[in-house]
Amino acid sequence: MMQKLRQSGTLLGFVLILLFFALKLPDTFLTARNLINISQQLSMLAVVATTMTIVMVMNDFDLSVGSMASLSGIVAAMIFTAGYPVWVGLSAALLVGVLGGLFNGFLVSVVGILPFVATLGTLTVFSGMAFLLSDGKTVFGRDIPASFSGFARAGIEIGDIKIPMLTITAGLVIFICWCILEHTNFGRRLYAIGGNKEASHLAGIKVVRLRLYAFSLTGLGAAGAGLMYAARVASANPTQGSGLMLDAIAAVFLGMTMSRRGEPKVIYTLVGVLILGVLDNGMTQLRVDSYVREILVGLIVLAAVAVASLSKLRQA
Amino acid sequence: MSKAFGGFPALADVTLNLSSGRVHALMGENGAGKSTLIKLIAGVLKPDSISVTKDGSPLPLNDAQDAHKAGFRFIHQELNIVPQVSVAENILLGRDLPRRFGFAVDWNKVKTQAEEALAFLGATHVDVTLPAGDLPAGDKMMMKIAAALVSADQNEPVLYVLDEPTAALTGEESEMLFDVIERLKAKGTAILYVSHRIDEILRICDDITVLRDGEFVSKNEISKTSKVDIIQAMTGRDFKDAYPKREVPIGIDTIASLENVDTSNLQNLNFELRAGEILGVSGLAEAGQTQLLKLFMGLGKVKSGAASFLDEELPRSPSDAWARSVAYIPRERRGEALCLDMSVRANIVLPHLSDYGFYAKPWLENKDALEFGGKVQLKSSGSTQPVGQLSGGNQQKIVFARAIQGNPKLLLLDEPTRGVDIGAKYDIYLLVRELSANGCAVILTSTDLPEVLGMCDRVLVMQEGRQAHLLERGEMTSADLLSHFFNNNDAA
Repeated sequence: MMQKLRQSGTLLGFVLILLFFALKLPDTFLTARNLINISQQLSMLAVVATTMTIVMVMNDFDLSVGSMASLSGIVAAMIFTAGYPVWVGLSAALLVGVLGGLFNGFLVSVVGILPFVATLGTLTVFSGMAFLLSDGKTVFGRDIPASFSGFARAGIEIGDIKIPMLTITAGLVIFICWCILEHTNFGRRLYAIGGNKEASHLAGIKVVRLRLYAFSLTGLGAAGAGLMYAARVASANPTQGSGLMLDAIAAVFLGMTMSRRGEPKVIYTLVGVLILGVLDNGMTQLRVDSYVREILVGLIVLAAVAVASLSKLRQA
Repeated sequence: MSKAFGGFPALADVTLNLSSGRVHALMGENGAGKSTLIKLIAGVLKPDSISVTKDGSPLPLNDAQDAHKAGFRFIHQELNIVPQVSVAENILLGRDLPRRFGFAVDWNKVKTQAEEALAFLGATHVDVTLPAGDLPAGDKMMMKIAAALVSADQNEPVLYVLDEPTAALTGEESEMLFDVIERLKAKGTAILYVSHRIDEILRICDDITVLRDGEFVSKNEISKTSKVDIIQAMTGRDFKDAYPKREVPIGIDTIASLENVDTSNLQNLNFELRAGEILGVSGLAEAGQTQLLKLFMGLGKVKSGAASFLDEELPRSPSDAWARSVAYIPRERRGEALCLDMSVRANIVLPHLSDYGFYAKPWLENKDALEFGGKVQLKSSGSTQPVGQLSGGNQQKIVFARAIQGNPKLLLLDEPTRGVDIGAKYDIYLLVRELSANGCAVILTSTDLPEVLGMCDRVLVMQEGRQAHLLERGEMTSADLLSHFFNNNDAA
């Protein structure tokens, strides 16, 4: 009973939030246009949060995703500025993401630094590199090729609805992460590592190697999100990704309150992302001060996690 | 002194009479209600009904504080220690530390108080300034007992409850513990002693109460009962023999051979292991038994000498070892073997995931989990039940199911029946015999000497990381084996 309540509590909260905005904003909230708008707004967060889920499954963390997203945007933009074709910029940025992630993984699993400390370090390193590369300035205007920024404006038309490419990209990433975690033995092993690292190691799971892979996937996701953001605003600046990390972790935590044994799952992370996205959109429309919004989001995450933790205590 | 409990679901109408100066054994299989009973006495669980009387007058027992006031002390099997903090502080944990000037901790006094408590136990060799986590398992147990003693300063303890105290101790340390129990007895305290080891109980206890399925089965004086009676009372069925006999002779193929092997922490390893052979590894606590097993898991490097497994090099890593048909059952079930929050199925197939290819195949995993769970006679509510909800015996069966799924050529057993009840123990022994009959070589280490002697064909005795003796089982008794732990001259 308690278990059911805990699991469905967050979902119930989400429905209540939807209802609240639907009643308060009858003309603008539950419209196809607004919903599509929401899906585009949160596509970057969705990519970061679902790839973050991959490391959080192992009880690890990656605090560096935000600054990685900034760095990847800057790397792509610098390469565009230097006159290389779009695909070179994209590949280089994604490669930086993979390498950064591998570096995180190396620090955590080979050197053995706590993920919190290791990725806090790389957070500053990546951020510093972004500032260094861009000289602290925003890259925009003619330096950003139209074919790059056009991607964010493009979409697939179904009837009179246009589904944005960013939404489709996020959907693909979510689907791939879901497949990886739920339907491959790689994913199974990651969950086992999260369940008990030492036992997994002794049961023949290559813990060190898998953690490296997982962190590089998270890095790749962060870099991808950075590119999506840069395309959407047709510019790149060294702080553009900074808000992503906290929201992504919050989304995973919200999701964890919904799963049976409190483990992170891609589907639930997605619900977490939707909650944050809908709140953001609705409150902007209601003209709630953005500072108030932050306070509210923080309180909601705390409430959800507190309920989950209390009901777990009750069980024991 | 008498206690009565009534109507608790896990425990129905059990009465326990404890008298001062006597050691009372509490026995029963896992799930029989021993832990429930202890938690009730400790005031940790709320009973549906309870009456406690001491010397004829009723005693309030509503929470842990009441239990402590009443003079009840508990020493649990799971050692709750603070590993980073010194032994002395662990001993005085939860009490006001002695002070100087009213606020500064008087460290000298802390040290002497802790040392006095340890001295009473005869454990004068323990350095109380060391971090508790650095102590060997046996000394940790001594430390916990000392901690229970120290609280005696405030109010006289009348009852000690010892829950499987010897599970983590070696033979020698157990002896020390038994001496302590004698001394506590002499002081006139009552002792409630919970253990799965019947030989121990027969030796040190005066009375025994047996529980089964939460119900009282029998109560007797130890002198008026026997091993067979006790086992029958616990299991409710006739009992033949504690250890199944070897029925298939040892094979001729060599599974592993070590010649003059030294590693970073082991020396002088010299033995050959044949198909189907069961080799026991014995010795004092932490003499290298676990490291020897881990060597075959690829954890440890051969520095000199020749070592081979199936005519090739030893495995390089745990994953290599599993891939080459080595199965390992680690000492710490919860810490090293199981993912407690995960399902029965996931835990069984864990080392064999690569057999299922790239994509997960839940239906196949399910089939295998059922098949191998069935082979080990696992009792669970289904393959999706989290293993944390199972009893110790069933958890261990999961680890065995995992081991036999790989159809092992070499099985490494580190304390395979620790915390496992008699019925499940026998099932496990049968499994080991069956594997051995199919040509699987087994290396077994256990602090339970009758187990080593009951199962093994030869026994390798280790002393401080060195192979000291390699003995034929023959007619050896526990006492013979124990004497080899200390003696250096290899007569065999």
